[in-house]
Amino acid sequence: MDSDHRENGDSTHNHVSKKPKLSAFISEEEIRREFSHHQHGIARINNGSFGSCPTSIIAAQKEWQLRFLQQPDDFYFNHLRKGLLESRTVVKELINADSVDEVSLIDNATTAAAIVLQQIGRAFAQGKFQKGDAVVMLHCAFQSVKKSIQAYVTQSGGSVIEVQLTFPLNSKEEIVSEFRKGLEKGKSNGRHVRLAIIDHITSMPCVVVPVAELVKICRQEGVDQVFVDAAHAIGSVPVDVKEIGADFYVSNLHKWFFCPPSVAFLYCRNSPLSSEVHHPVVSHEYGNGLAIESSWIGTRDYSSQLVIPSVLEFVNRFEDGIEGIMTRNHDNVVQMGKMLAKSWGTNLGAPPDMCASMIMVGLPSRLCITGEKDTERLRSYLRVHHGIEVPLHYQAPTDVECAPRDKDGLITGYARISHQVYNSFDDYCKFRDAINQLVELRRTCKMLFTE
Amino acid sequence: MESSPLPLPHPQNESNGNHYHISKKSKPSLISESDLRLEFSHHDPSIARINNGSFGSCPASVSAAQRHWQLQYLRQPDYFYFNLLQPAILRSRTLIKDLVNADHVDEISLVDNATTAAAIVLQQTAWAFTEGRFKRGDAVVMLHYAYGAVKKSIHAYACRAGGQVIEVPLPFPANSNEEIVDEFRRALMRGKANGSRVRLAVIDHITSMPSVLIPVKELVKICREEGVDQVFVDAAHAIGCTDVDMKEIGADFYTSNLHKWFFCPPSVAFLYSRKTLDTSPELHHPVVSHEYGNGLAIESGWIGTRDYSAQLVVPDAIEFTNRFEGGIEGIKKRNHGSVVEMGKMLASAWGTNLGTPPKMCASLIMVGLPVSLGISSDSDALKLRTHLRENFGVEVPIYYRQPKDEEVDPITGYARISYQVYNTINDYYKLRDAINQLVSDGFTCALLSK
Repeated sequence: MDSDHRENGDSTHNHVSKKPKLSAFISEEEIRREFSHHQHGIARINNGSFGSCPTSIIAAQKEWQLRFLQQPDDFYFNHLRKGLLESRTVVKELINADSVDEVSLIDNATTAAAIVLQQIGRAFAQGKFQKGDAVVMLHCAFQSVKKSIQAYVTQSGGSVIEVQLTFPLNSKEEIVSEFRKGLEKGKSNGRHVRLAIIDHITSMPCVVVPVAELVKICRQEGVDQVFVDAAHAIGSVPVDVKEIGADFYVSNLHKWFFCPPSVAFLYCRNSPLSSEVHHPVVSHEYGNGLAIESSWIGTRDYSSQLVIPSVLEFVNRFEDGIEGIMTRNHDNVVQMGKMLAKSWGTNLGAPPDMCASMIMVGLPSRLCITGEKDTERLRSYLRVHHGIEVPLHYQAPTDVECAPRDKDGLITGYARISHQVYNSFDDYCKFRDAINQLVELRRTCKMLFTE
Repeated sequence: MESSPLPLPHPQNESNGNHYHISKKSKPSLISESDLRLEFSHHDPSIARINNGSFGSCPASVSAAQRHWQLQYLRQPDYFYFNLLQPAILRSRTLIKDLVNADHVDEISLVDNATTAAAIVLQQTAWAFTEGRFKRGDAVVMLHYAYGAVKKSIHAYACRAGGQVIEVPLPFPANSNEEIVDEFRRALMRGKANGSRVRLAVIDHITSMPSVLIPVKELVKICREEGVDQVFVDAAHAIGCTDVDMKEIGADFYTSNLHKWFFCPPSVAFLYSRKTLDTSPELHHPVVSHEYGNGLAIESGWIGTRDYSAQLVVPDAIEFTNRFEGGIEGIKKRNHGSVVEMGKMLASAWGTNLGTPPKMCASLIMVGLPVSLGISSDSDALKLRTHLRENFGVEVPIYYRQPKDEEVDPITGYARISYQVYNTINDYYKLRDAINQLVSDGFTCALLSK
């Protein structure tokens, strides 16, 4: 099986082109059918959290599941490895990796963080790093990643530097300068920065980070390894791992790339340290490289990893394939964001060029959002009483003088709206009207019933 | 407009309550032969599937329940995440706690499989070495027949951090529990030599290859007498196959796969971690997420976005077993009786022997293969297995047993046959006849080497 790991080794693999076929593109009606299993009557403007999966992919997944159930031994011996290699090859080409060896399939970005951080933890434990050597991350890194850092780095004696990002943001430069400061801090007192963890698209609040630039700075400043947590990226922004230049890059395929829950790829640039990286669930393939280790971590359902070629076919039914989808999602979400901000008299949290398929829209100050309890209440209220699914973010004003305001006060809350191919203008109108209604009725978050 | 869950097909699955029950008494109508066929009609009909032990099996009604949960999620994942997932996981854990006689539901975590459970237990062992609580050279004791993946996990986690491994050699064919107990005691002595301590004993409840039912209760008792810090029972096969009682067995950690012999879809296992009066061992799921620090059971309930549906159909699997006379107890008894009968039938037809006495097996048994087949390596065993699958439509794992020097005409190959509710006597006739034909054709494994 291992001998199959050559770039052009698998001659039976039908090369799937990135360009769409010349036949008719998917129609509006077909798109609706592909997502007809989404609950009707819900304005589902939160593709960012859990993603979405079209019915034709669900059907493809069922085929794989059935094959296992029909004759699992035959599946294990004759179909699984081949199918995984095909999936990895599709991903390798999508992300411009040099070799399929560099592409591993795992459950999600959370798992990738554990993999990368475990090897950091081992290096501390073995004395390869000195106590106090630093790991640098963004302050708004995803919470599970922060906890992973706590579990594997802090526990092993490493120190953690958080880079504060201002929000709302006006330019990339703001991120770059804060990042440089963070690196300086990490290197102070003779320490090394052993790992920088950089989000490609932060979760909450959501902005697109200039990762290629930050990776370059890391190299200039002698950071050992760079791990890009790009949970949202694939299917949302172009992903070229050679251009970005990180040591590790992970993205979830079930968020914006139409895969079922769950599957992510973890790209690990070939290096002398590659053999130190392991899947935490050790099985028969231990020591054969992360990609091979990940292909068997005990009996489980690998079907979501096997449908990636089918997903490529799906996106190629759209005009300009995944690039077309990304462009249109971006344009639409910006348009909708501006529409909402205008209607509410608020702002966008970041300029359009720092957004992909999600954007942060300021909520009216009259809602009196004073903390996370308020945003949770409002989010539940919108779900229960208006059938609107949208995540909300509380942003404490740091500098009251320059903090964003609307005509009534400080803007302290933001909605993160997503746009995916199944969304319609109505979804955002619904949201617009629900918020306007609250403001008109002079309801604040604390007054809302969520039952 | 509230997001309401789809109505679930079973009367006891009420969305607003903790109403559930396990009824071990048989329901008014037991499953009929034809319903049974239907439940497993997705199995490839051309294959004599006598390997339930490797990957288990899942009846159609439980698969349907799983699909229902999957659809719930896809329909409105945020609502699912905030309102449905955790109560459903708690329900499954509670049912398992009752099934295995654990004291408290906190002691039951759901993970993917025994391989994952091993990583969890061994990770805490590794931490103890790293942090100096265990000394370099302190021992981890395991059976020679421990599952390959678990052996690798022990090396990756414990040895890497400074532990030494002691393997307990076990005779095969097995003759008695006493042999096992003796070897185990001796291994513990080796582990305690030179002032070292035995920090962890990893004991299989039912070894995989070759498959032997191990007297775990007795071995755990010996561990306690000999001052072993922790005992981890890898019981991947046990639930639905042999008796599983946490308090009886008395181990610190115990894991078993529900997708092998308990009719769950791939994949779901439970990891039991005994709560003690002083601090409970600090186990963590290696995939750290939001719930880090809230106890393994809660950590395991969310390890990032993924499909948790296999963990949610434990109630449906239990309901399935209750359609059989005597429920899961009845199924276990009949499986055992049948696999022993089939094993004897085959051994008799081939002129060979069983690898263990009947009381040292559950729903799997090792049957000696005719010497003339010339199985002389692990590779031969795998090739013969493939040959049986491709040319005879028989799925059965083959074990190569290295002969001892003095043995004359030793039996070096054993088939590990399983018996589960969907099996029929024809499955075993097919194997019997396939082997007899190979013998009469003068077949040897050497012929398979191309």
